[in-house]
Amino acid sequence: MSTLEEEEQERDEVAGANEGAAAALTTPARLGAYMRRGTVTVPILTTLIAFIAGGFVVLLTGHNPFSTYKAIFNGTGLQWLFPWVTGSARSTAAFNLQQTLLATTPLILVGLAVAFAFRAGLFNIGGQGQYTVGGIAAVWIGSSFSSMPAFPHIVLAIAGAALAGAAWAGIAGALKATLGVNEVISTIMLNWIAIWGGVWLFGLGGPLQDPHQSSVPTSSPVAASAKLPVFWGNASLQGLDIGLFIALGAAVVFWVLLNRTRFGFEVRAVGLNPDAASYAGISVARSYFRVMAICGAFAGIAAAMDILGWKFSLFTNDIQFSTVGFIGIAVALLGRNSAVGVVFAALLFGALETGTSDRYLDPSVFDPNLASNLTWMIQGLIVLLVSTDVIALKVLSSGRGIRVLFKGRAKREEASA
Amino acid sequence: MADSARPALELRGITKKFGSVVANDRVDFDVYPGEVHALLGENGAGKSTLMSVLYGLYRPTDGEIMVDGQQVEIDSPARAIALGIGMVHQHFMLVPVMTVAENLVLGNEPTQAGGVLDLDAARTRVNELSARYGLAVDPDATIEDVTVGTQQRVEILRALYRGARILVTAQEVEDLMAVLGRLKEDGTGIVFISHKLGEVLLVADRITVLRRGKKIDTVRRAGATEQSLARLVVGRDVLLSVEKTPGHPDRASEPMLDVEDLHVRDDRDLEAVNGASLSVMGGEIVAIAGVDGNGQQELVEAITGLRTPTEGRITVAGEDVTGKGVNAATDAGVAHIPEDRQRRGLVLPFTLAENLALREYRRPYFSKGGWWRVRHIRERAFKLLGEYDVRGGDCDTFASALSGGNQQKVAIAREISCDPKLLVAHQPTRGLDVGAIEFVHRRLIEERDKGRGILLVSLEYDEVRALADRILVIYEGAIVGEFAPDASEEELGIAMTGGQKAPEATPA
Amino acid sequence: MSVGTLAISPPRTASPKLIGIAGLVLSVVAWVITLPPFLVRTPVPSILIGVAAMSAGAYAFVNDERRIGFGAFALGTLAIAGAIGNTNSGVGHLKVVFTWSILVAAMLRYATPLLWAALGGIICERSGVINIALEGMMLMGAYFGIWGADVFGSWVIGVLIAIVAGGLLALVHAIFSIHLRANQVVSGTGINFLALGITGYFFIAHYGDNGTPSGISQVPNVKIPGIQHVGFFGNAIGDANLLTWIAILLVPALSFFLFRTRWGLRLRAVGEKPRAADTVGLSVIRTRYLAVVASGMLAALGGAYLSVAFVGSFNQNMTEGRGFIALAAVIFGKWRPAGALMATLLFGFASALADRLPTFSQSLGTLFQALPYLLTLVAVAGIVGRSRPPASIGIPYVKE
Repeated sequence: MSTLEEEEQERDEVAGANEGAAAALTTPARLGAYMRRGTVTVPILTTLIAFIAGGFVVLLTGHNPFSTYKAIFNGTGLQWLFPWVTGSARSTAAFNLQQTLLATTPLILVGLAVAFAFRAGLFNIGGQGQYTVGGIAAVWIGSSFSSMPAFPHIVLAIAGAALAGAAWAGIAGALKATLGVNEVISTIMLNWIAIWGGVWLFGLGGPLQDPHQSSVPTSSPVAASAKLPVFWGNASLQGLDIGLFIALGAAVVFWVLLNRTRFGFEVRAVGLNPDAASYAGISVARSYFRVMAICGAFAGIAAAMDILGWKFSLFTNDIQFSTVGFIGIAVALLGRNSAVGVVFAALLFGALETGTSDRYLDPSVFDPNLASNLTWMIQGLIVLLVSTDVIALKVLSSGRGIRVLFKGRAKREEASA
Repeated sequence: MADSARPALELRGITKKFGSVVANDRVDFDVYPGEVHALLGENGAGKSTLMSVLYGLYRPTDGEIMVDGQQVEIDSPARAIALGIGMVHQHFMLVPVMTVAENLVLGNEPTQAGGVLDLDAARTRVNELSARYGLAVDPDATIEDVTVGTQQRVEILRALYRGARILVTAQEVEDLMAVLGRLKEDGTGIVFISHKLGEVLLVADRITVLRRGKKIDTVRRAGATEQSLARLVVGRDVLLSVEKTPGHPDRASEPMLDVEDLHVRDDRDLEAVNGASLSVMGGEIVAIAGVDGNGQQELVEAITGLRTPTEGRITVAGEDVTGKGVNAATDAGVAHIPEDRQRRGLVLPFTLAENLALREYRRPYFSKGGWWRVRHIRERAFKLLGEYDVRGGDCDTFASALSGGNQQKVAIAREISCDPKLLVAHQPTRGLDVGAIEFVHRRLIEERDKGRGILLVSLEYDEVRALADRILVIYEGAIVGEFAPDASEEELGIAMTGGQKAPEATPA
Repeated sequence: MSVGTLAISPPRTASPKLIGIAGLVLSVVAWVITLPPFLVRTPVPSILIGVAAMSAGAYAFVNDERRIGFGAFALGTLAIAGAIGNTNSGVGHLKVVFTWSILVAAMLRYATPLLWAALGGIICERSGVINIALEGMMLMGAYFGIWGADVFGSWVIGVLIAIVAGGLLALVHAIFSIHLRANQVVSGTGINFLALGITGYFFIAHYGDNGTPSGISQVPNVKIPGIQHVGFFGNAIGDANLLTWIAILLVPALSFFLFRTRWGLRLRAVGEKPRAADTVGLSVIRTRYLAVVASGMLAALGGAYLSVAFVGSFNQNMTEGRGFIALAAVIFGKWRPAGALMATLLFGFASALADRLPTFSQSLGTLFQALPYLLTLVAVAGIVGRSRPPASIGIPYVKE
């Protein structure tokens, strides 16, 4: 081995450049490296930039970005947090906030489903399919067994949804583990298979269509015993149910699993350096399978929260046009794949969803259809910005670790000097 | 040896800074046509930076480059090539899935009308050059199927194809020798980069020594010795080999490692280990020497449980671990210091504490019942970091922040601390500087003297001769000879290139 | 003094692989014999053949030909299911659904957008950049193509605008992936979101609730004189769209470009080992930029076909995952144009079939919409084998 080659190789390796060594510095590795710095500046900056860019688009089509964003904000209900808001404005805000939190709940869970995969070095784009399958299970269990008492019925439905989601994701995991199938392709395909499967199940003439509503492509409604109890707001007017706490609990489980269990250590090692992990005796393939299954479980529970919390039945339209799984990707990325980050990112996107929906956005200010597309653009920009480390790099100019990752040469000279 | 009045290439006062780090500090260097001028220095001395500047990969912060007396700006490899500067890398710089001919002409392809590739013309060119310089290559062979030696030859030919009049090379000496005579006749100036004193003394006409970015001196070959050069390189008198007491292998007990007739296939399903047998007793260091690519990697992987052999048996201290996986090997007492510490040994974005737990994390001390015991892990890490004098960080520092030598210390600390019966060290000092190498060598000998069996796989003659109690030569997947540590380089060399057996007709 | 190569043992006998392939063929046979014109009316022979196929697959799987084995096994299962379904349907129904000439015509229609996108994907990935964003680029082409055709009254301009739109979006992907060294799968996903938002936004802003008007200028079909009314061929290919023909002709052209010209050689070198290309003076960055933008333009053409040639209108998220099927076709076809053609024809056939089935059962028709995706999954998992992407794919090139 010549010196030149050795030096070059070292430089390459440390600089995270090509020659395969870069494979060891995967995105989770890079994200992980500055995630631990614990800064919140980067996600905030990223969001700000995305919103500003979105504002430009709004301006382009002849609307006022400020009033648009204000109108969206008004719909979110977040102003309830401001103590100076009182009276009827306050009660409207309360109701809106409940809706926001209702939207946030599944987003937390799906975000966790994507984030957990990322931590293992996997890209779970299949959140939507796993969510769909979980929803099918939840609605079926929820609408059957109506003589069961509430608590076991709810638990059964949630467990069934988790299992269904885990199995669905497990297919992709198993394919990756045994055949090395790229999980991006397999989960995307599984998404569509799940969606069309669901549409068939509850469609006209489908096997699980509500027998009492033969002209409507929907499932049977969830029994009263399976509905999640509401703790804030009016139950008959779609108040906030305890699903929020289940979601937050899931975030805690996520953190504990990753940071306080042996399994979590293995997952993190595999995500940051699969080669070194296998050299340490960790079975990378088995980890992939287990991780995907857990992700599917999170996504399945997300669906259960929606079904048992406020949807109470599943229309084929819901299945076909739901986008929760994809927003989950943006949530995970913005939240830097950490439990806390995911919760806050979910809140942001939940707020956006409520604020731009046609029930709460004043169409005279901004067309809700436009607004939902605006949200997609903002999400797209956020994901794009997160995919590079540009902002992160600029903000986090401190920390030897980062500099080593990207300016290996300098580090190397310094260290050996 | 042609000797014109004017240098073909001259670097004057070249300075290159990366932020506050000065990689090259006002370096002067020149090459005359037909001479071999060696650039000598330790890793990190600035040799490769200087050459990258020359090749247009970096812009110098200060200084000038003159080619044939004219000042030039080299802002890209294309420009360097146009100026007649050819850089010869090793197989790194060839496209593995393409043929020799395709690689040779890449970027400068002979074409028929409309950009259609003229592969026949390419083949002809290859054969012409090959004959002229005495470097036999098959134009239609695919790079990934061809030997390392042939790849080196292709690299040289590629630079010559582009009309290089100044050749910058960091090649191993053997191949260069073959072509050297011809090149000097042609008046090509050659820059030879190395950190190996012996090599440099063999080929160079003049030798320039770099240390910490500065040029220390330029000397003529006549009168230079290994000692005099070493003094220039390191700045003090250097002990060229570590003192070693002979080992006391424990022949009474069963061997720490016993490998019987092992057959292992590599990633491309070709047989890489072809009936290898060896054993390592406690208290001895057995080194496996051989040219890279003769099955060392797969042998190590089989022993450490990463690869399942197709035939044969591996026993560690009496326990059969053949094909049972890494965890079984670890439980039987195998520790492994892998070849590529950054990619396989450590998880760079993990903290030192987490890295130190990698080998033994399944033990109840670290993770009882699946629960991750953070406190114990940190305690253990703290202890090990002190014991092995790891500089540059504490338990919570990321491994990426450490220097190469300290990273290797961490890897070694981890492996030794699990009290192995067999320690497999694969290229443990690759890329390390002299001080770190000394540490590793000393430590290996210490561990040997504690009764462990150590299997060392290394590509460095000096390391093998310095450490081994017994030297096994591997060639084409089998152990072809056993030597004492005082065997001559020649003997080892012959065995390593298959000289002991009558060579069969092998595909090129 | 040469070092001999490693002793290369004789290659393993090919039998597990051959048996696996035989299993694949048997699966197809098992299914086809229940279709017109053979119309075997009992499922028994199909079941037997199908089981043979599954066994062949299992044998291959156990003998380390895992992927082909899995493929044969899965296909065998599907074939038996399909055969049972066929034999339980009326002959009349089968004949309606399996009118082969109409099926072939439909197959071409469904394959065209996939083929355009796949060809673009091949160029992009061959240069070393992963392109998950084919979907988004197609969508841009679909919307801006029809918008252009509408506003300027000409499908030519519509197609041209589609190309520009796709190219611009691809430029964004290129900047993020190449210049900013992003994780290319993530940035591709972001591009897809962005495209969804942009096309939806401008669609609503411009067309409001009514959607695109009818009667927009469409890309014409190519009526081949002479065979146009001749039986099978007439129906099958006599009236295919211009963009279909161009795409098909592009296949050998791209093949030639990639493997027989100097630029193709350079493109492939950049994708395999950018360092090597760099050291001979090629610009890795520029090559990749060109490749990514080219892929955007081609994918956009695929999307434009959907709106301007096929359907004649636009609706939000019109592409519905086709871009991903195109990516699967790239992988399935081992990054070769001819392979991608085979793959897209196969997937197109599945879609065509799914389309004809509602005539026979409304509910089942919905289920069969999943068929192309299922087939893609099986294909990528089972049959692709040890296919190698360009070696440096997805790894950003760093040049200091």
